Amino acid sequence: MTSHVGRLYALALALLVFFLAWAAFAARPWARTAATSTSPQLRALAAREHRLRARSVLVRRVVARRWATYRAELQRRQARNAAAARLASAPAPSVRVVTLPPLTITRTS
Amino acid sequence: MERRSFAAMGTTVELLVDADGADEALGAAEEEFHRLEALLSRFRADSELSRLNRAGEIEPSPDLRRVVELALAGRERTGGRFDPTVHDALVAAGYDRSFELVPADGNGSPEGAPCGGGVRLGGRIELDPGFRLDLGGIGKGFAAERAAELLALAGPCLVNAGGDVSVRGGRWPVGVETPAGSITLELSSGGLATSGIDRRRWRRSGRELHHIVDPATGTSAETDLLRATVVACDLVEAEIWAKALVIAGAEAAASEARARGLSAVLLSTDGRAVLAGGLA
Repeated sequence: MTSHVGRLYALALALLVFFLAWAAFAARPWARTAATSTSPQLRALAAREHRLRARSVLVRRVVARRWATYRAELQRRQARNAAAARLASAPAPSVRVVTLPPLTITRTS
Repeated sequence: MERRSFAAMGTTVELLVDADGADEALGAAEEEFHRLEALLSRFRADSELSRLNRAGEIEPSPDLRRVVELALAGRERTGGRFDPTVHDALVAAGYDRSFELVPADGNGSPEGAPCGGGVRLGGRIELDPGFRLDLGGIGKGFAAERAAELLALAGPCLVNAGGDVSVRGGRWPVGVETPAGSITLELSSGGLATSGIDRRRWRRSGRELHHIVDPATGTSAETDLLRATVVACDLVEAEIWAKALVIAGAEAAASEARARGLSAVLLSTDGRAVLAGGLA
């Protein structure tokens, strides 16, 4: 009786040890350590990604600055065009030489 | 016909309106002149223009912004002969206070100063370091235009700001004096301005100077035109071209007036008067 119960406990313990070992093996803890600490390609890729991210920030800044310059120049050009259009559409001054006595005079201002 | 005269912007302003009971319009026009003088004078330390010149940048009122905008457009159209950044050249030549206070003679070095400085007009006005603005002539033209707008509410009118004339409606004979007698131009719209080297003159270290600065040299322009009178669609435009034609000289001015369709009376230093452009 005692030896029968003992064998059951031993079997349960063996099953538990087996499943724990299987879970530990399935987790492959050695794979992560090897990838991060030993692969030079992965390190190079990570560094490249970092450089590209930094460069993209710079490019975004340059584009924003050029866009602002372009907008300001566009605004100036539109103002110049509007002024030119205003002048072009302004009625021509009505003036002619007459022999009347002047009502007022012009001189260097 | 009602008439009013008053002093503003270093000259005498004359308002004429062909209507009775125009006191209110005359008052509004005069008030507008004084208001704009308080903004645009380079001789008033508290003016908005003086604050811009001191600080090099400002968030401008709509009027200052508009005048600077017009001045910069004028600089571009005239290829830089009209330039609002002549302030330091005028000061270097001795025109550093209201003209009646400028000594007629004196010592000093009329060496001139660089012109053509950058002016950025965005939300603010920003000047390149070392440059300041003079809006004297164009400011007076702008003020006369605004005054004429107000006066026109009462009836056909003429505003004469020391020889710069703006009219609205009616027919207004304006005399242009020449050595051979007066030429009368009849205006019913637009503006007429006269610029020249025959007034606002002084001497420094024996050298004769005047107020028309050639931005290319930064000192008083050397020209064979004594005066140019220009008629244009408004007084600001006439003012810009009158100055640009004086700097161009007699021959180039006649060609340019013809090419641009400007009506002009050009008086040379030898006394010849030429009707150019639309008047020829």
